[in-house]
Amino acid sequence: MANLRRTWMRRASAHGAFWAATVALAVGLIMLGDFEFENFKGSGSRFTRFFTRMAPPDWSVTHLVLRSTAETLTIAFVGTLLALIVSLPLGFLAASNMTPPWIAQPTKWLLGFIRSIPLIVVAMILVTAVGLGPLTGTLAIAFHSVGMLGKFYAEEFETADRGVINAVRGSGANWLQTVRFGLFPQCVPQVLAFTIYRFEMNFRDAAVLGLVGAGGIGLYIQMYIGGFQYQKVAVLLIVIIVVVTALDQLSFWARRWVR
Amino acid sequence: MDSSSSDGRPAISLRGVHVLYGRIMALDIERLTIASGERVFVLGCSGSGKTTLSRMIKARVRPSAGKLSVLGIDPCALGRASRSAYERCIAMIDQEFHLVPRLSVMDNLMTGALGRVPVAASLLGWYPLAELERAEAILAEVDLEGLEGRRVDTLSGGQRQRVAIARALMQNAEIIVADEPVSNLDPELAEDALELLVDCVARRGVTLLVNLHQPDLARRFASRIVGLSAGRVVYDGPPEAFGDKQTEFLYRAEAPDFKVIRAVKRGEAGAEPA
Repeated sequence: MANLRRTWMRRASAHGAFWAATVALAVGLIMLGDFEFENFKGSGSRFTRFFTRMAPPDWSVTHLVLRSTAETLTIAFVGTLLALIVSLPLGFLAASNMTPPWIAQPTKWLLGFIRSIPLIVVAMILVTAVGLGPLTGTLAIAFHSVGMLGKFYAEEFETADRGVINAVRGSGANWLQTVRFGLFPQCVPQVLAFTIYRFEMNFRDAAVLGLVGAGGIGLYIQMYIGGFQYQKVAVLLIVIIVVVTALDQLSFWARRWVR
Repeated sequence: MDSSSSDGRPAISLRGVHVLYGRIMALDIERLTIASGERVFVLGCSGSGKTTLSRMIKARVRPSAGKLSVLGIDPCALGRASRSAYERCIAMIDQEFHLVPRLSVMDNLMTGALGRVPVAASLLGWYPLAELERAEAILAEVDLEGLEGRRVDTLSGGQRQRVAIARALMQNAEIIVADEPVSNLDPELAEDALELLVDCVARRGVTLLVNLHQPDLARRFASRIVGLSAGRVVYDGPPEAFGDKQTEFLYRAEAPDFKVIRAVKRGEAGAEPA
């Protein structure tokens, strides 16, 4: 009994220490930074004003908003597809159960490097190099997604059943055949689920990309907010919320369908 | 590739082979020769070296010392390309079958043919017509007709076992190694599966090496029984001569513990007669 109590006490104090340290770290960092909490004063009424000025939504811009939303969806979809095509081979190369360390590790570094460049920076570089428009947005989304998808695929491949891979390789299959028939079939549901999840995220990211002129709905977000046309902003928000919710549901169905 | 290559050359030959896992002697075989077309059943307790023996033949374990020759080849002396060609000649049936989940019965069968079909076409799932016909014939042979489109993860244990056998047959190997192939099945299914395996193998004249825990089944299907204890051959002879006495000796209560295994470490082992 005393023993049990001591174990419990030890664990409780360990948990307490963890949370105390984490909160202390956050508070310390906030005190180092320039957080101006007095800005909250009066912000409530400003929020209210913002939202009251949105009503009623100005539906006259609906067709414009829908068309640019379709463009954003295209950017997200094609960008994700391009990323999928590039990331799969990179994922195979980065999976330490399929390649020797001198291939797997540099490929992981490459993926990490791609991932570490913020999307908005990629988009700004591409805007200067390729010009304005949805093509730029698509390339930016694709580039950034390769870093994320490649890493996830590699980690997923590394959890594959070694015995199955050995069984296929042991029947005389070469590396490509082993990947295709021993490794990949085991990972299809997870690969698909994460790619769809990435597509959802890419839609939201692509909506922001318009801010730097990379096409899509972002241009109008910037234009209407900058021009204080809050009733048009309301239409934008409604459309984005509807699309994101629909994508969420679609991806749920797709993931349930592929088992 | 020709399965009836019984030109007097033994299919498998071991001479003074030792396999050491760290300080533990897993296998210590002075001499073992298996002729082409033999059906050898290997009996012994867990840890007696059965799995090590089969993995060594599949070139997944290297002997620490001694001479191993399979189909006239030393699997340890192979480069990458020739190793793949060698592995193609040895089909393996595992205790856990290791079928590819989410793929159909047919796709699983065709993985046995991957070593000899055009690579680019195979990646798209296209196979030569002759291979598809071969697969169909094998499906009929193992009584899986009509199930070729089913995903293997929807099959019963007995059906999966037959897919594993079919895949091994599809490989067109000269030696089939089965490591406790029926330990996941109930006694009746186990007997059926072994009968099927032995029939298919006998029809092709392929050499068969089976690790098993059921002496009665071994007596029924083997052409020769090898008993292993603590990594050593303690029985080698016809199934008729393998009686209750031998069974009791092989599985006797004072099964080889670590002390016994250490006693047959290399060096000390040479002093004793095999």
